[in-house]
Amino acid sequence: MVDANQNDPAKGNGLPAFIMGFVPGLLQWQLGQKSRAALALASCSAVLFLGWLVVGERLFYWGLTVPDGSSSFDNLAQLGLPVLPEILNLPAQVLGALLSFDGSATGLRMQRLPRDLEHLAGWVTAASGMLAAFWAAAGHWQLRLRRDGAAGARPVADPALCAGLSWIVPGLGHARAGQKDKGVVMGAAVAVVFALGLVFSDGHAVDRAQYGVWWIGQNLFGGGSLFAALVTGPMRSVATPIDLDLGIVLCTVAGLMNLVVMCDAYTVAERSVFPLAAGGGAAEQEGAEA
Amino acid sequence: MELLFRIAVFVPVLFLVALVVVAQQHATADATVKAAVVRTGRWVVWSVVLLVSMTLLELLFIGW
Repeated sequence: MVDANQNDPAKGNGLPAFIMGFVPGLLQWQLGQKSRAALALASCSAVLFLGWLVVGERLFYWGLTVPDGSSSFDNLAQLGLPVLPEILNLPAQVLGALLSFDGSATGLRMQRLPRDLEHLAGWVTAASGMLAAFWAAAGHWQLRLRRDGAAGARPVADPALCAGLSWIVPGLGHARAGQKDKGVVMGAAVAVVFALGLVFSDGHAVDRAQYGVWWIGQNLFGGGSLFAALVTGPMRSVATPIDLDLGIVLCTVAGLMNLVVMCDAYTVAERSVFPLAAGGGAAEQEGAEA
Repeated sequence: MELLFRIAVFVPVLFLVALVVVAQQHATADATVKAAVVRTGRWVVWSVVLLVSMTLLELLFIGW
């Protein structure tokens, strides 16, 4: 499928550009946007270290593999590489890990020690990874504009901003891109599934310290995981709710649904510059009729 | 009772997931909701087919 300019919208910017996306600001630097590059690096690093001040080495304990002195993945874990989504903010994450990892028995015990405000701080460190992803998306959008000969084009809204807005409030990115009613429907769908998950689990489904792997998916709905970090996460658990498993799955499904919402918000803004060729999609025809 | 409860949750959630999935091919809320109803129906049928197949496999390999 090609757009109206005969460009393939599915064609990426290549592996080097993809890899550069892991270093906030590098794509902007490559594009000659020096001040935006500095802003990207500074904002992502500042947000990560703000959360790190509270959670510190406990972040290692929330990774996909936990360094325990015997695992073959220890070297990766010591660099903080299995910790998602912080890994998307690669330089600050690795620097923080190098500075704070302590492989002694005391250090490993400290990783297991809960901290005050760790729910909120865990969300903040994760937000740095998501922020890095949105900066990378902004860089890729600029690269795409240059590659397809539309450097001066102005989209209805910045696609990366639309995706970022949808991370916090599902559907807000669509409203920004001009599809307000569709955004309300998509946002409501995500919010209802997430709320059902919290209700069925008595509020305990979204807890990074307890269900860290599920939390990676749940955090794709940033507004929901922030609510959980502030309100339901710190709630005292007296007994395991009977439908805890159902609640955890529903909240994770809501996060994955929001990933689709974010990608669609990006696409809606993108197509204001690169529309599909005539007859390319029902959405364009409906958009023309609306 | 627990199974009934799970089915009661499953179908509305399926509809909400369908809303998000089909919205990618539509630009208006109206068209999205209509398409989601059709898609949910199709997914429910496939869910029943999957459930029956798994039950038959269970009967075949494990027994009643």
